[in-house]
Amino acid sequence: MKDPSHDPFSFGGEVSSIPDLAQAATFVIAAFLAGVAAITGTQLLSGTINTRRLFYGRRKNGDYYFSPERVQLLLFTVWVAFTYLLTVFGNRSKLPDVDTQTLALLGGSHALYLGGKAFARLAPVRNGKD
Amino acid sequence: MLLAQANTTFDLLALIAGWVILIFIAALGGVIIWCMVTGTIDLSKLISEPNGDASMSRLQLLIFTFVIATSLFLIIVYGHAFPATIPQGVLVLLGISSSSYLVSKGIQFSSAAGVSGSGPALIIVPQRVAVPCGGQPFTFEVTRVGLDDDSGVKWSLPPTSAGTLGLINPDTGVYTPPQPASPPLGCPYVEVHATSVTNPSVMDVALIHLI
Repeated sequence: MKDPSHDPFSFGGEVSSIPDLAQAATFVIAAFLAGVAAITGTQLLSGTINTRRLFYGRRKNGDYYFSPERVQLLLFTVWVAFTYLLTVFGNRSKLPDVDTQTLALLGGSHALYLGGKAFARLAPVRNGKD
Repeated sequence: MLLAQANTTFDLLALIAGWVILIFIAALGGVIIWCMVTGTIDLSKLISEPNGDASMSRLQLLIFTFVIATSLFLIIVYGHAFPATIPQGVLVLLGISSSSYLVSKGIQFSSAAGVSGSGPALIIVPQRVAVPCGGQPFTFEVTRVGLDDDSGVKWSLPPTSAGTLGLINPDTGVYTPPQPASPPLGCPYVEVHATSVTNPSVMDVALIHLI
C-alpha cells in the first residue's frame, strides 16, 4: 500500500472499492481549477477574451499611445507568477514566502505603471494633441 | 459499500451528506465550465474597460489570483491541512496587485475621458427645451468630456432654419427665438448644433420646441 503522506490522492489510507470522499473532492476541485485556467488561457491567447489595446494608454483628450509601462508590468507579473509557481511545485510542504527584493521590484513596476497612467490621464494637453 | 467506510450510523450519515454535497458542487462546477465553453458565461470582457479596451491592471490581478489559488490548493492537497499561516510576502503581493487595480480605476475615473469610455464628447444642456416665439433669449450650456475646459465650441442652427426659426450666437450659445409668425409656425422643432473647434468630429445636438 502506498504511503498516504506522499500521495495526494490518498487521504484516509484505507483501501476501498469506492473512491475516498476526500480523494474525490480533490479531483473535483483540481478539475474545476484546471478547467477554468485552461478556458481562460485559451480564450486569452485566441482573442476570444478581448485584449484590444492591452499595451496602449489613453491621454486626457482621448488619444491612444503605445505604453512601455504596461509592457514592463506584464513582464514583471509573468516573471513573479512563474517563479512563484515553480517554487510551489518544488516544495509543496508549505506555502512559500515572497522575498522582499521581489516585492520591491514588483512594487516599483506597479508604481511606474500607475505613474505613467496618471501622467497621461491628468497632464494638460496642448492643442488637442500632446 | 458505504457501510464499509462507516463505523457508526452517524459516520454513515456524515459520509452520505459529504457525497451529496460533493456531487452538488461537482455538478455546479461542471455547469459553470460547460457554460464557459459554450459562451453562455461570456468571458470576452473579462479584462475589458467600459470602453471596450483591455485593461492591464485587471489582467495582472487575474494572473496573481490564479497563481495564489492554485498554489494554496496544491499546498492543502499535499499537506492534508489548510496552512497554519499565510506568509506575509503573499499577503503583500496580493495587496500590491489589488491596490494597484483600485488606484488604476481611481486615475481612470478622475478624468472625464475615462468616465465617458468612448472618447471626447460634448453634451448640450439642456438636451430639449420649449421656448415661446417672441420670448426671452435662451442660453445653452455645454459639458466637455475628454476636452479641455477652455476649448472652443461653435454653436449653429441648420441652414434651413436659421433666420426663420430664430438665431443663435455662434460663440455664446444664446438662442433668440423668432417673433410670432402669422400664420403660426405650427410648433416646429429646431435643432441646435454644438461643435468642438479643436476636434470638429465631436459634436452634439439639442432640440428647441417653439411654442
